Amino acid sequence: MASKIRTQEQATGWLLLLPAVLLLLLVFAYPIGRAFWLSLFTENLGTNLQPVFSGVSNYGRMAVDSRFWQSIWNTSLFTALALTLELVIGMAIALLLNQSFKGRGIVRTVAILPWALPTALIALTWAWIFNDQFGVWNDILLRLGIIQNPVNWLGEPTLALLATVAADVWKTTPFVSILLLAGLQAISEDLYEAHAIDGASPWQSFRRITLPLLLPQILIAMLFRFAQSFGIFDLVQVMTGGGPAGSTEMVSLYIYATVMRYLDFGYGAALVVVTFVILIIAVAIAALVINRLQKNSA
Amino acid sequence: MIQRYFNWLRPTTWWSAARRFTATPLRFGAVAIAVCLSIVLSAVMALSQSRPVQISVLVQALETAQWQSVIESFEAENPDIDLNMVEGPNATNLVEDLYTSSFLLGDSPYDLVYMDIVWVPKFAAAGWLMGLSDRLSDAELAEFLDGDINGGRYEGELYRVPVRSDGGMLYYRTDLLEQIGAAPPDTVDEMMQISQSLQSSDAAQWGYLWQGRQYEGLSAMFVEMLEGFGGFWVDPDTREVGLDQPEAIAAVQALLSTIETDVSPNGVTNYQEEEARRLFQSGGSVFMRNWPYAWALVNGDDSPIAGKVGIKPMVHQAGQDSGACQGGWGFGISKSTPHPDEAWRVVEYFSSAPAQKQFILENAYVPSRRALFNDPDIVAEFSHYPDLLDVIESAVLRPPIAQYAQASDILQRFLSAAFTGQMSPERAMQAAARETRRLLQS
Repeated sequence: MASKIRTQEQATGWLLLLPAVLLLLLVFAYPIGRAFWLSLFTENLGTNLQPVFSGVSNYGRMAVDSRFWQSIWNTSLFTALALTLELVIGMAIALLLNQSFKGRGIVRTVAILPWALPTALIALTWAWIFNDQFGVWNDILLRLGIIQNPVNWLGEPTLALLATVAADVWKTTPFVSILLLAGLQAISEDLYEAHAIDGASPWQSFRRITLPLLLPQILIAMLFRFAQSFGIFDLVQVMTGGGPAGSTEMVSLYIYATVMRYLDFGYGAALVVVTFVILIIAVAIAALVINRLQKNSA
Repeated sequence: MIQRYFNWLRPTTWWSAARRFTATPLRFGAVAIAVCLSIVLSAVMALSQSRPVQISVLVQALETAQWQSVIESFEAENPDIDLNMVEGPNATNLVEDLYTSSFLLGDSPYDLVYMDIVWVPKFAAAGWLMGLSDRLSDAELAEFLDGDINGGRYEGELYRVPVRSDGGMLYYRTDLLEQIGAAPPDTVDEMMQISQSLQSSDAAQWGYLWQGRQYEGLSAMFVEMLEGFGGFWVDPDTREVGLDQPEAIAAVQALLSTIETDVSPNGVTNYQEEEARRLFQSGGSVFMRNWPYAWALVNGDDSPIAGKVGIKPMVHQAGQDSGACQGGWGFGISKSTPHPDEAWRVVEYFSSAPAQKQFILENAYVPSRRALFNDPDIVAEFSHYPDLLDVIESAVLRPPIAQYAQASDILQRFLSAAFTGQMSPERAMQAAARETRRLLQS
């Protein structure tokens, strides 16, 4: 009798889950599956935009495509630099905002502003800030006597990448600091008091209490930022368009060009699949680490 | 009670009234005839005053405003066509993307395509355009500039009728050249010598300004240098790639040396047309490579160098000819349009001599018809147009291949690498040639 009720309840449960499962299949599984299927075909101007089955030849082509590997390298470098800076600066801002001082509410609101502004607009502004002839950044450096001649920020491969990182850090650090601030506020004051009574310095408290207890928030913030910055498009597209010498071309820019400008759908799909797999692996590793940390602390 | 007053609103009331009225055969027959008559009558009336056919085309917002008076005269002469010029973004690559997505989704809302010359092979190869060869005779075609017509062809078929032309050229400062008694240079070496002698006497800060950013303008500029050095990019017939030939490497080396010798500021590696034009216009520079649009601006009322500027065909290597990169815009007809004949009447009108003349006099663009360069009214307004004809007639096409966008990106990337010192000219051009060959084989 009891088992009959149980099966019935389970059936109802599955039935209630069905809409959500269907929705997930429709918006996640189908597009991904379709991209994978498409990546096994050659469909471009050479085939009059008709799909012709070509097995894994798109993946073979990718292996020798220096532009693809350069874009992967650029994206990784961009992501690594941006994430490190955002974590350090975001942490500093979070610690500052966690202190009580007059006007903290206003400062917190202002601090989130860059994150709330539209990226394309920000990118345009930063492109002008870094302009070699008319840019305000060169003007400041010249006035301070740090440089003697205007620096060609967006026209030099290394500098251009750093300039896009700077713009991204400015834009998304607030996001990191807000997440960290939430974590900081959940840590009890008592812990610090007890630690201080034991004779610990503020630096020791930071290392022994704040960092370990904040680790889940740090990892979650990094996970979000990783996924976003690996897919960065608008900021770079507007600031440099991928140049000079392809030094700021990110994977998403390359995929966009392949599909929209070259009309090479099969190869574009293969690029999407490989980028997707790289992202999944990275996220899986992060999730594993978070899981282990939470088990350890529990 | 009140409901009764509203009973007439209910269809059932109407229906029963009608049934009662048509109960006798005679009455029924009369009503039937009346109904049939009114249907026929209204159909006849609808046909006799048929609504104008709407023809849509997407154009950069800036240009829709400039075409306005031509549109008005067209619609006045063709009341049966309603020309709907949809405002698009001003950046041409975004307009290209919008056309591309509208065709990819099928059933494009645009009957006409306002096209840059470099889109033709791609759009034609994708099967989005209607062939136009049958609609123009050879005599009619001969009135246009050869480069503009050839740029509208793909594999022999004509897909685009040009309405305005474009070509790169050399701007020079007449006053600075007079100072040292130099004639306008024909060769790259002469240009370098004039620049350096003016720079060493502090008469000029910079010698030569050009477009070196990684973008389509870089390919356009380089096509001119390639022609001037006797090289080639891709042969459209044999599909041979010439980027690693000695002539092409020499052309890269010549451009690189303008930066190395400080004849050009190192910022040119990030310049587009406007950066070069602004710097040239502010004084201080002797030469600039640019398109015809810059003429009106550098000679504008607020320009410190107004009246001190000359133009001539691009410099080249001794023993070679100069080349101008063929640019320009024209109309194609979308294959999916339900009104090809009406669309063609728009194309015919906009490319006609009177419409082009009207457009040019108002907006200072370059005509695609040879005769207009020496038209008395146009010459009275723009005295340099006869010189411009010399420039445009030496125009060379960017390779008319379906994968042009990809080939251009490859070239831009490696040119940019060479100009920013990432790779030597030889290595950069060998890599560019290798990747272009791989592209053309795939």
